[in-house]
Amino acid sequence: MGFLAFEPLALSALALLAIPLTRRAPERLQRIVLPIATAVVLLVAWHAFAVATRYELRMPGEAPRTVDVFPTPIQVLPAFVELLGDGRLVRYAIASLYRVLTGFALAAALGIPLGLAAGWFTRVSFAADPFIQALRPISPLAWIPISILAFGVEDGAAIFIIFLGAFFPIVTGTMTAVRSIPVAYVRAARNFGLDGLTLFRVVVFPAALPQIVTSLRIALGVGWLVVVAAEMNAINSGLGFLIVDARNMGMRYDLVVAGMLCIGLIGVLLDWMIRRLERLDEVRWGFSKV
Amino acid sequence: MPQPAKVVVEHVTKTFRRNDEELIVLDDLSLVVEPSEFVCVLGPSGCGKSTLLNMIGGFEVPSRGSLTIDGHPVRGPDPRRVFVFQEYGIFPWATVVDNIGLGLLRRPTAERERIVAHYVDLVGLKGFERSFPSELSGGMKQRVALARALAVAPDLVLMDEPLGALDSLTRLQMRAELLRIWKAERMTVMFVTHDVDESVQLADRVVVLSPRPSRIVDVVEVALPHPRDIGSPEYNRVKNRLYERLGVRHEI
Repeated sequence: MGFLAFEPLALSALALLAIPLTRRAPERLQRIVLPIATAVVLLVAWHAFAVATRYELRMPGEAPRTVDVFPTPIQVLPAFVELLGDGRLVRYAIASLYRVLTGFALAAALGIPLGLAAGWFTRVSFAADPFIQALRPISPLAWIPISILAFGVEDGAAIFIIFLGAFFPIVTGTMTAVRSIPVAYVRAARNFGLDGLTLFRVVVFPAALPQIVTSLRIALGVGWLVVVAAEMNAINSGLGFLIVDARNMGMRYDLVVAGMLCIGLIGVLLDWMIRRLERLDEVRWGFSKV
Repeated sequence: MPQPAKVVVEHVTKTFRRNDEELIVLDDLSLVVEPSEFVCVLGPSGCGKSTLLNMIGGFEVPSRGSLTIDGHPVRGPDPRRVFVFQEYGIFPWATVVDNIGLGLLRRPTAERERIVAHYVDLVGLKGFERSFPSELSGGMKQRVALARALAVAPDLVLMDEPLGALDSLTRLQMRAELLRIWKAERMTVMFVTHDVDESVQLADRVVVLSPRPSRIVDVVEVALPHPRDIGSPEYNRVKNRLYERLGVRHEI
């Protein structure tokens, strides 16, 4: 028993050893070894914490038993298998993704044009900017009661919350992007007689595009962040629902943690997908040092 | 029959307000530029050379005085007089051909392609048609800017230290290129610089401005045929006179 308690410590010591050992290793190797080492340290810390918080329950007339407060990493594994096995994981992930992507698409469809207009036309900015700035600091979660009132308990409420979370980063990001277009580009365009929509299509939009893509990336992150909260209320599907449901229906903290890990994993995947936009010729120039 | 003047600057004064203080940048400037002339505007940094060019380009308005091109007052930017910017001003998101074709968007595609191809050739960018500016050297980017300006067949090209960001060898090459193109196209050029050698190598006439508030201190004719022998006594005479007018001694 004593040895088993010591084992995690030995593991993390080994992982920490990777830091000095790979100092002179090729970068490619370091890229693989170092995150694994971090993962081991984190898992060990998690495990140690779960073990440390266990307590003995002694009820009169019963044999004392150990009560787990937090699940250990090893206890979460079967929870994953369970969620995959009964199809809940895939079903809930799709439900959440559908809400996030719909809300995000709506936010982009409205936010980009409004941001372009408010960034370019002073009068639009005068009219709209104070309200954008005043509504922006209200957490999308504060809108939950109102959105349920407006859209009921269906997808609509959750999509609206995500829309709000994604909309403001896109509007403000696009606005800033347009305002920071170097004056030389605009002057050149005007010099060649470009105006109206042509000026927008040929100069304003392409010049702002890299920063718009950055704001889309932030917005998608926020959307994914709020979907969980949006699904914790008045909806019975999605990864957010999974988490509240697992707790409410029998304190299944192993399922809670499994759900959390899935949210993280899908978040990374979404970010990786939207980052691919940054490699397009139309966007890449904005991220490279000339 | 005498040709009418291309650019007429009459008693132009430009002031800016800064912290409730009136800052005179250009003080009562008068200048006439003839068609097909190559005029360099020479002066110390911050003297308002660019401001003068910006006003002729229609990007800024004189505070007093009048400014006419071909007898018409300047009312704003116009594709007939094209600006070549200091930091290139070419679009990093567009290819070489798309950059050069910027002023030709209203022309039919076939015509646009033909004109662009001609100027790609003229500035020596063949083989780089599909390249992006980030893939080009400083000199090549400047060629793109030049080709873009020339492609709209302007009769006046305004250049604001266009070679300032280049290394000295490329700058020499680009001066020769510029003269070759100017001889071929015969447009009027107003070229702002603070480089005395550059102005003597390029210009028919050099307009020397004083530090702020800027006035014209001298207009020096450079009566030397191209290509100019930079070792000739006449070249050095003009150069020395310019240095003297700028208030700097030539010998260091």
